Amino acid sequence: MLIIKGLKARVEDKQILNGIDLTINPGEVHAIMGPNGSGKSTLAHVLSGRPGYEITGGEVTLDGKDLLSLSPEDRARAGVFLAFQYPVEIPGVNNTYFLKAALNAIRKSKGEEELDAIDFLELVKAKLKPLKMDELMLQRAVNEGFSGGEKKKNEILQMAVLEPKLGILDETDSGLDIDALKVVADGVNALRGKNRSFLVVTHYQRLLDYIVPDQVHVLAGGKIIKTGGKELALELEEKGYGWLTGEKVKA
Amino acid sequence: MSTLTAQEHYLSSFSQLEAKLPGQDAAWLKSLRLQALEQFKQAGFPTDKLESWKYTNLSLNLLKEFFTFEVPASTTVVAAQLKKNGFDTDKAHLVVFVNGKFSKELSSLKPLEKGMTVQNLASVLSNETVKAFIGKIALSQNKAFTALNTAFFTDGLFVQLEAGKVLDAPVHAVYVSTNGSQTTQSHLRNLLVLANDSKVNVIEHYWGENVSAYLTNVVTEVAMATGSTLDHLKIGQEDIKGYHIGSLIAQQEEGSYFASRLFSVGGALTRNDIETTLGKKKAECVLEGLYLAKEGQHVDTRTFIDHLSPNCNSTEVFKGVIDDQAVGVFDGRILVRENAQKTDARQSNKNLLLTKEAKIYSKPQFQIYADDVKCSHGSATGQIDEEALFYLQSRGISRDEAKKVLVYAFAGEMVEKVESGYLKPGLKKLVDSWMEVS
Ligand SMILES: Nc1ncnc2c1ncn2[C@@H]1O[C@H](COP(=O)(O)OP(=O)(O)O)[C@@H](O)[C@H]1O
Ligand SMILES: [Mg+2]
Repeated sequence: MLIIKGLKARVEDKQILNGIDLTINPGEVHAIMGPNGSGKSTLAHVLSGRPGYEITGGEVTLDGKDLLSLSPEDRARAGVFLAFQYPVEIPGVNNTYFLKAALNAIRKSKGEEELDAIDFLELVKAKLKPLKMDELMLQRAVNEGFSGGEKKKNEILQMAVLEPKLGILDETDSGLDIDALKVVADGVNALRGKNRSFLVVTHYQRLLDYIVPDQVHVLAGGKIIKTGGKELALELEEKGYGWLTGEKVKA
Repeated sequence: MSTLTAQEHYLSSFSQLEAKLPGQDAAWLKSLRLQALEQFKQAGFPTDKLESWKYTNLSLNLLKEFFTFEVPASTTVVAAQLKKNGFDTDKAHLVVFVNGKFSKELSSLKPLEKGMTVQNLASVLSNETVKAFIGKIALSQNKAFTALNTAFFTDGLFVQLEAGKVLDAPVHAVYVSTNGSQTTQSHLRNLLVLANDSKVNVIEHYWGENVSAYLTNVVTEVAMATGSTLDHLKIGQEDIKGYHIGSLIAQQEEGSYFASRLFSVGGALTRNDIETTLGKKKAECVLEGLYLAKEGQHVDTRTFIDHLSPNCNSTEVFKGVIDDQAVGVFDGRILVRENAQKTDARQSNKNLLLTKEAKIYSKPQFQIYADDVKCSHGSATGQIDEEALFYLQSRGISRDEAKKVLVYAFAGEMVEKVESGYLKPGLKKLVDSWMEVS
């Protein structure tokens, strides 16, 4: 499904990704862990096409399609979804309107019929429930004045509505209390399936108790320096990253 | 090339036109016109040396055009077009002017109860009220375009409500300009007179379908007696050949409420002056506006609120979206005179620039001579939020569409503020279609 080969990227004059190799097969969940500033968000952004990054090497394909040459919207239409570490507030844009426009843009690109307001509302209400979200959130402006937890839930709601092939979660757990974390994790788990993969970026092992990964990768200095099973996350929790990077960095 | 100046062009045209202008039997009007012509002669056209015309240099464009006084034959449909654009004109008193002349056929004036008048001005020039107000609210001194308008006006809207009268259905005046290979101009004069506790909604709607350059020069005078309410809305939808110069000048008595909303999307060059005098206590005004400009358009909006009396409120919110190489100007002056204690004056001007070449000159001016007042103003100019743009794109929405969503998120507020169900669909369409072709 997702194949990353030798991916290098920089921002302005700073080289951040130094050759990343990663393959995620359909249905798999991979976790990326690593100290602050190791390039986790950069990787997530580069995959989703955020402007401002210069790709200095390597390639990325999704089901054989070259991702790096696509615009962000075309990546989304190809099935990439990024749950933002910091979801953006958009005053003046209604959440329902936004979600419907997004879903219909994606449906249209696949030659599917667009949903009308009634069908859409039915769909989105069904997706709200398991996330324990208030229907009133649909009437508010996108993320405006949402609490940290509400913003993260809103990201998962969008993912549930858009049903991507690849969900990239960038520190979706940060800022969540344990109850919200469980709700979010359940929301993600409900989306797991044999044709959907996830790249879960996290700083803490805690999330991985709920979203159990098939593989765990450690990113440091813009490179994957270790790969293992889910038990690697526990080991990192215990020992920090220092034993891998040779520096004194605590988790 | 003739060496005539634009000013001379008008001065010399007057003697030929004078006899054809309406109001031949009203001596007061004939002398008012002559006086205005003299004032125009004195003042001359404004240059960019004047503070109030600093960012709008007419010598580069408007003054190069010697608009003819020809009245071209025209066929145009109005009601059907308005319906298509979202205005259900069956619900309004529709008053249509084509090239400065009232069109009875295109209008639909419903019967009104006693004490209410909705007419074309040219047909009521012998009316004492007209005589009492024309030229008394919008003064021609040092105002070239007002003076020209007074000298040359052919027609316009006249609305008069006697005490306590409330006209529920909106008055929708449409001013169509349409020409062929010749340039044209029209000078329109509107007069709205509201007696005590009367209430009305008036829409001035300017639109053009032109081949050659044209000028629409309009002056609207508004007299608001104690406790009266006017909801005024102006839609500027001139075409790209159009020059639009408009003044809306109001005088407010005690406890009156004046709402003026401007939606300006058209015209090569548009200048709107909106002024009100809060002349007696507890008068209130709300001035709002949205100006959208693209390509080479130039849109200049100037407001002046004169807080003359105590306990008056003014609220001003103007927003602009400037695209391509267009230029926007907002000049908002608020004068709080010594006597105007307990004034509450708020002003906000926000602009969104869609390109690096787009320009905005925003100039809030407060002159406060009273000490017990609340005044606030904010002026902000920004670009499209790139973070928000990426967020929308990352959900599958195209960049172009995402831009439109964000422009509407900014501009739509001004549409949402309009409560009238008659206007909302049309205004929304107006903004949408502006974005569609940009
Ligand atoms: N726009 C930027 N400009 C300059 N440096 C950046 C920018 N974005 C990220 N960086 C730097 O790149 C490194 C990796 O950042 P990031 O990918 O956000 O790390 P992580 O998500 O792992 O904490 C950090 O040193 C960060 O300061
Ligand atoms: Mg990060």
